[in-house]
Amino acid sequence: MQSITLALAKGRPAKSTIDLLEKTGIHFKDFHEKSRKLVFYNDDRTIKLIFVKAIDVPTYVDKGAADIGIVGKDNILESQADVYELLDLGIGKCKFAVAGKEEQALEQSRHLTIATKYPNIAKKHFDKKGQSIEVVKLNGSVELAPLIGMADYIVDIVETGNTLKENGLTVLEDIEQISTRLIVNKASFATKSAEVQQLISQLKSALE
Amino acid sequence: MQRYDTDTNRNKNVEDFQMRDELIATLKNRFTTYGYRQVRTQTFEYYDMYSDIIGTVNKDEMIKVIDNTGEVLVLRPDVTIPITRITAANQNSNDFNQRLFYVLDVFRQAAGLPNQKESTQAGVEFFGENTPEADSEVIMLAVHTLKDLGFKNFKIEIGHAGFFKELVQQAALSEQELDHLQTLIQSKNLAEIELLLNDLPIKRELKAAIQSIPMLYGEPATVIQQAEKSILSNQMQLVLQNLIDVYKVLEDYGVEDYIAFNLGLINNMNYYSGVIFQGFVDKIGQPVVMGGRYDNLGKQFDNAMPAIGFAIEVDLLLLAIEQQGRATSGDQAIDVIVYYTKEKQKEALTAASELRNRNYQVLTFSRETSSLKELTSRHIVVYDTKENTLISNDKKQPFSKMNEMTSLLEDVKGDL
Repeated sequence: MQSITLALAKGRPAKSTIDLLEKTGIHFKDFHEKSRKLVFYNDDRTIKLIFVKAIDVPTYVDKGAADIGIVGKDNILESQADVYELLDLGIGKCKFAVAGKEEQALEQSRHLTIATKYPNIAKKHFDKKGQSIEVVKLNGSVELAPLIGMADYIVDIVETGNTLKENGLTVLEDIEQISTRLIVNKASFATKSAEVQQLISQLKSALE
Repeated sequence: MQRYDTDTNRNKNVEDFQMRDELIATLKNRFTTYGYRQVRTQTFEYYDMYSDIIGTVNKDEMIKVIDNTGEVLVLRPDVTIPITRITAANQNSNDFNQRLFYVLDVFRQAAGLPNQKESTQAGVEFFGENTPEADSEVIMLAVHTLKDLGFKNFKIEIGHAGFFKELVQQAALSEQELDHLQTLIQSKNLAEIELLLNDLPIKRELKAAIQSIPMLYGEPATVIQQAEKSILSNQMQLVLQNLIDVYKVLEDYGVEDYIAFNLGLINNMNYYSGVIFQGFVDKIGQPVVMGGRYDNLGKQFDNAMPAIGFAIEVDLLLLAIEQQGRATSGDQAIDVIVYYTKEKQKEALTAASELRNRNYQVLTFSRETSSLKELTSRHIVVYDTKENTLISNDKKQPFSKMNEMTSLLEDVKGDL
């Protein structure tokens, strides 16, 4: 039996994923939320768990540093990694949306400026509509951009819509639904087929 | 200092090049043992030739050049198309069989990767036959080559362009829907395939069949069994039979362990017409080998002819070998170093020429002029004013004539 490396996104989804793995009988006894360790093994050491920044999970899997990754769809889309996306864990649900000032409708014709943390997703979305845009890449407080006139609209993750509302913004267009997904390196799926498929079917049955 | 590197390709130093050269020699040798003959195509090709052929090279990725006459050319972005063009132009009879191979650089610039413009491909093309035997021979050659390179844990995934094509024909999808579905199937994204199909007005059994495609993966016998449930037309039955026939021949080659079926393998659908395959090695997420049957390409050059081939990404293979820590060829020692004094120069240089004629690698150093550095060689020949000596295996042997020295060397060689 070959061992499998599993990359998990640090933060909120990590806890629910670990819970899910516990339910399938895979225990990481050293793991607790406060731990600063980045590498854990399960009891029989067949699974090595590594914690990485969410946006890096697809890269770890794409490059083969991890066989499997569990991470939000937002990061998979943005990284454009060439991986298999085999399972929707149904947790961490939210969506990508275009948002703007409340009184504003989404314009179609003009060249638009979009502020976002996710330039690839923004470009792809507006490309599909045949709309030319300029992207302003920000790393946080994206909601500010339309208010101070740096951008016409924003593309961001929307969970409850509260942050938007408090800043006088509203969702103008949905782009894509997001949730936590399980991704697999294409080579690992071929060369460690049995091990990978077994873990997936375990997780699947835990989800049901 | 300004940096003049235009490409992030590895293989910058001499050792890297030696390793790469050894790898290519191994590939060439194996291709030759299957009766393939090496060819080369020109570096500049007409842009129009590539832009006319659908589904092969992304127009944006090609590197264009404009010559003096204003003609738009591209740096060869792929080799299969020019080889097919040449073969189509030269073959008039229907009854021919041609096995060709190449080791050539291809030039593409993918979006977001501005510093990776060239890569080396080693590939084969087999023209003139569409049989399960031809298909499996080519797949066997890919397996054989990866084995030669010392890979133990690798898999060749085999699929068929016809299976999915036939299914979606019945679904009558728009181009955009088809594109989306194809992307989802390639990433085996079951959750979103279901969502997409639920929105479409297609029959339940067809829906189930399309949904099953990504997981028609793994051990061939099992996949064949599962795939039979998805058969919705005679054409699909023929496709599955074709895969079964190919696999039977591969079993007789004794390489079942390296084969998996993957009916979700649907890249370049407009290009491939039959069996498609790709090879993965440990830790490398992209396929190191890609190939398939492309019987329709010849038609675009007014000469329909069956064809199958594959291309190996040499740089990716090198990366894989490095990552698996199997970097070979640390041996940089050359065969013979000849040291001499000025009076013996003629004698020493004559001896060096003779040794080179006998295929020894030889370096010569004059005692007076060269600044000696620590160099390693298997043998040392010293032409001193007083005497001549051959040093090999820490043993000093004096000699007077060149013949003595060469026969001493042959003796040592025989001992090894």
